[in-house]
Amino acid sequence: MSHWQAMWTVFVKELKDALRDRRTLMAVFVSSIAMGPLMLVALSTLVGKFEKRAEAREIVAIGLDAAPTLRNYIERQTFTIKRAPADWEAQLKDSKLGDPVVIVPADFEDALAHGQAPRVQLVYSSANQRAQGGVAVIGRLLQGFDQEQASLRLVARGVAPGVMSVSRIDEHDIADTAARAAQMTGVVPIFVLMAVLYGSVNAAMDTTAGERERGSLEPLLATPASRGAIVVGKWGAAFALGLLIAVLSCMSFLPAQSLLRSESLSAMFRFGWAEAAWFITVLAPFAAALSALMMAVAIRCKTVKEAQANNVVLTMAVSLTPMIGLFNQEGESPWNLWVPPLAQSALMNRVLKNVPISPLDFAPGVVVCSAVTALALVFVTRQLTRRGAQ
Amino acid sequence: MIAMDDLRKQFTTGRGRKARSVVAVDGLTLHAQDGAITGLLGPNGAGKTTSLRMLVGLVTPDSGTIRVDGVDLRTDPQGVRARLGVLSDARGLYPRLTARENIVYHGRLHGVADDVAQARCEHLARLLEMQPLLDRRTDGFSQGERMKTALARALVHDPDNIVLDEPTNGLDVVATRALREALRVLRDETGKCIVFSTHIMQEVQRLCDRVVVVAHGRHVADGTVQSLCEQAGCTDFEDAFVKLAFDAEGHAQ
Repeated sequence: MSHWQAMWTVFVKELKDALRDRRTLMAVFVSSIAMGPLMLVALSTLVGKFEKRAEAREIVAIGLDAAPTLRNYIERQTFTIKRAPADWEAQLKDSKLGDPVVIVPADFEDALAHGQAPRVQLVYSSANQRAQGGVAVIGRLLQGFDQEQASLRLVARGVAPGVMSVSRIDEHDIADTAARAAQMTGVVPIFVLMAVLYGSVNAAMDTTAGERERGSLEPLLATPASRGAIVVGKWGAAFALGLLIAVLSCMSFLPAQSLLRSESLSAMFRFGWAEAAWFITVLAPFAAALSALMMAVAIRCKTVKEAQANNVVLTMAVSLTPMIGLFNQEGESPWNLWVPPLAQSALMNRVLKNVPISPLDFAPGVVVCSAVTALALVFVTRQLTRRGAQ
Repeated sequence: MIAMDDLRKQFTTGRGRKARSVVAVDGLTLHAQDGAITGLLGPNGAGKTTSLRMLVGLVTPDSGTIRVDGVDLRTDPQGVRARLGVLSDARGLYPRLTARENIVYHGRLHGVADDVAQARCEHLARLLEMQPLLDRRTDGFSQGERMKTALARALVHDPDNIVLDEPTNGLDVVATRALREALRVLRDETGKCIVFSTHIMQEVQRLCDRVVVVAHGRHVADGTVQSLCEQAGCTDFEDAFVKLAFDAEGHAQ
């Protein structure tokens, strides 16, 4: 029997066997395919709430009745004034109050009339994410009042208000919409990478440690099929399943876009067929390396349980390594592209930011993944040859 | 024909100071002819399973030679495996596949065409009286049903040499009788070379044309049941076996 025939026979059998494990497959489908879009919808809901809050133009204040000038200014800016609840401090700490609180002293108007600088407090809790979002808006509003009053005083003294400004600041945001959206959607690649892991982990363990545990490895090794062909056939099935789940996971983002609740996020997050194709291209070498590595870890184990415990390190590496890119404030470093799955995460983020990917960016990940795949498969084959079914 | 000559195997467990060596097989010789059932008889731990694993190439012997139909295991292990049908100690099946799929999968790995493997599967199902089982998933099979499926899997490529490691373990009387009958058919009608390891006297007496007695990894006696009884000076085969095997163990220790 040729190596190819043996490989194909093992591949088809392992794939059929894995696809019949409906319960495991359903769990993988739900966790890998539904999680990403659900996360995206949750994210968009959060952004939507921020946007609504910004559009609402509300200010929560205490003592504003005693400051008619400030009140007049705020109302002219079309802000709605809301009285702070009695237990505002507790509510702010518990995140029940979604706006910072402005405290105006009782002598505000008097101090203003006498040319003194009354002190207005802007109270917020940095642990309260919702209220934190409104701090900058309310801060700018109060600064606007300050500038208006200062300008009026200068005009009253016959001084042009322009004297107070020696320069002007024009802000230009050079990030395009895709790059801005990538700040919010940077976690999407991590979900897709985890989908690859969930897709191939069961097949990788069942075809190695599982086969040993149920006592079917010895009869398999008693056939004339070469160890190499058996290993490649098994790896092919684990790889195909990992890739299948990755494809489904990527595709699930296509319809998920219509569920986005934030208008600006849905305008910015463009995930079409081209992006999905790029994701799959980037993920394929990683799926190959990961399934081979998991087999290499599991082949030394006598039971699936032992293999699961041993694969925890690998699972953690896959989930935590891309975080380096997520939390790195200094941007992407060239070495990132040589370290899977950081490389794949970086490349997928580029796709989301609409940054072009050159073959030279793509090559390091492919080279490293191919080398890891080859080494892991050689290791598994040697283990089978040396240890047999023991 | 199977020829195992002067096989030796020693296992080492632990490392460094805690390392311990166990001699599993110590100069075993076994020649099994075509058209005959050769029994490998020995007490627990005598080295029967290790010897059969060496025959299949799952364990590499420290020394000695193994030839199957003249093919040397060291130079052509795949050629040897292709000539063997092995029912090993481990009889695990794939629980999500049907009995038929389990059997045909092994046939395909032996290079048998799909249609031929299917036909062989049907033939073996008739021989082993397991037709109703064929299209059921093996998950939930009884011990006897598993045994029959594993045996059919070992024979699907119609090998000239059949190696069975304690095949009646866990089988009830009816299943044991059916297996015995199947082995007789294979020997008498197709001239297969059958090697069969066991520690059950009754089976050896009823089935084996020749018996090789092993103890402590060594070949201690061989011949027909009758000649072994004569050799030990006993009328009962069980007494003869105890004398041959355990006296040898005593000498070895």
